[in-house]
Amino acid sequence: MLAEKHITASCTISNNIVSKDGIIEFEKPGADLSAFLLSAYQHFQLNYPKFYKMDNLSKLGWIASEILLRDSFEKDNYQPEEAGVVLANANSSLDNDLKYFNTIKDIPSPSVFVYTLPNIVIGEICIRNHFKGEHAFFIQESFDADFIEKQVSYLLDHDILQACICGWVDVLERDYKAVLFLVEKRKNKNSVLFSAENMNKRIP
Amino acid sequence: MIDFRRKILRLYRKNMRSSVYIAGLGVISAIGNNVAEHLAAFEQERAGMGDITMLNTIHKGVLPVAEVKLSNDELAAITGLPVHISRTAQLSLVAAREAITDADIPGLDSLRTGFVSANSVGGMDKSEDFFIDFLKDNSKGKLRNVFDHECGSMTELVADQLGITDYMTTISTACSSSANAIFYAARLIKNDILDVVIAGGADALTKFTLNGFNTLMILDKEFCKPFDEHREGLNLGEGAGYLVLVSDKVATILKKPAYCKLSGYNNSNDAYHQTASSPDGTGSFLAMSGALQKSGLKPADIDYINLHGTGTPNNDSAEGTAIKRVFDPEYPPMSSTKSFTGHTLGASGGIEAVFSALSIKHHIIYPNLRFETRMSELPFEPEKHYLADQDINHVMSNSFGFGGNCTSLIFSRI
Repeated sequence: MLAEKHITASCTISNNIVSKDGIIEFEKPGADLSAFLLSAYQHFQLNYPKFYKMDNLSKLGWIASEILLRDSFEKDNYQPEEAGVVLANANSSLDNDLKYFNTIKDIPSPSVFVYTLPNIVIGEICIRNHFKGEHAFFIQESFDADFIEKQVSYLLDHDILQACICGWVDVLERDYKAVLFLVEKRKNKNSVLFSAENMNKRIP
Repeated sequence: MIDFRRKILRLYRKNMRSSVYIAGLGVISAIGNNVAEHLAAFEQERAGMGDITMLNTIHKGVLPVAEVKLSNDELAAITGLPVHISRTAQLSLVAAREAITDADIPGLDSLRTGFVSANSVGGMDKSEDFFIDFLKDNSKGKLRNVFDHECGSMTELVADQLGITDYMTTISTACSSSANAIFYAARLIKNDILDVVIAGGADALTKFTLNGFNTLMILDKEFCKPFDEHREGLNLGEGAGYLVLVSDKVATILKKPAYCKLSGYNNSNDAYHQTASSPDGTGSFLAMSGALQKSGLKPADIDYINLHGTGTPNNDSAEGTAIKRVFDPEYPPMSSTKSFTGHTLGASGGIEAVFSALSIKHHIIYPNLRFETRMSELPFEPEKHYLADQDINHVMSNSFGFGGNCTSLIFSRI
């Protein structure tokens, strides 16, 4: 039943730095989060107009997933139902909820409202990549690598998924952090064994 | 080992061939408190919308809704539940009890019985009461008002009242919730896990849903006009609808004939947008085609479609486009009963499954009220009048939810 599982890629975005597999790919010190995310979008030449509609949580998670999967993920190896996403954070969609709350005073904004759920970021990643496998979003005080390892291992060990993006995507006003892992049953030249310990090593 | 596999395969094939019968119905909505009142309202073409009377909201007098015409006190008096229990659970119990009484299954106590109930607001109505006091002074507010906030609490409260202990679960997939509950119940029976399942769903009107849908700008300030070129949105409604689903074996011991059987079902997702359907109706197309395939029927076999038909520009256009893809060039009669009940969200699939079963039993097609102008992109339009004495063998019921969660059910004459 136990499958061999490997972290075949990782991506971290924090302190205005984007890193892939521990190597810095882009940085822009001093910019506020919205400006930084836009700069990253432009720097990586990501072409996805829907990006502009997203709230900061979705933008952050979406860019992290783009960099995570780029050059690392062979989409054709998987059926849509075989790829899934398991994420967690501490502040749910509170960053956007507060923005939405401010729009209520005038006219409630439908486009802000549709992001008032934390799992929308999972939806954005799935829509982009046509993932149709299992997904879950957990709210926890801090990244609980043991918990995430258990969740993802269950999905892969039981052949519910063959590939899974997992990790942490959190935004509240100026504080933010994204750490994503791509977990697959195959190895590649950079891969390390999928474990709580190896995930924790990548947490800035 | 090989023998074992053969045995499993044989069992699987046998189960997949077995049928699931509808033995009982229960429903409450803005047009009636039971099945008989609904049939009368349809015949008289009497819609349930009106001004808001129950909710204390700034939208009172502005947005029409389809309220169940019973106050919380009146509902509690009928159900026997305390009045501080959510309106969602009260509505659920009224309809579920009617369905069980209607099915009147001999020896029910000795059968493996489950309750699969859907809702999308849970006990939100009482949570809203709590926050009025709590936000003014955080030492105030009755905690019992938030105790049953979550969706699963509604199912547990009602299952306790019904005395169902073998199996219960809650499904919450927005507007396709209770269609998925029925679909899941059928699979529990087909796989010989249960003999009888009471399946469907309930939702009460709350400020939460009213404000949310208002924010999305998809509420019509007039009574809704599903599938009309000039439709402007939906009217929210409330209610509950349940079917009693039974196995082949139980169907043989019923005191009266079953209404129909559930012959097809499918759930598909178009993974397109948080709240909108894809313009070409991919999810709804897949759900309808999948349900047809499951039932072994052709599009031409369907005698009536109970549309999801919310009345929003997006839904009706996507659903219409998908119907065109599935049924062109011959279209069966179709209508949206949300023109009577409003959109009852998590309850709608259950309520409309009851209407579908009644359509087969009583040979009727429901009118799509207030329809005037055919949608420019469609070569067909809904039925405008109540039709009796119709030859109806197969009914398709559509329930499409936010997140692209699309379900179609097919009910067939036995």
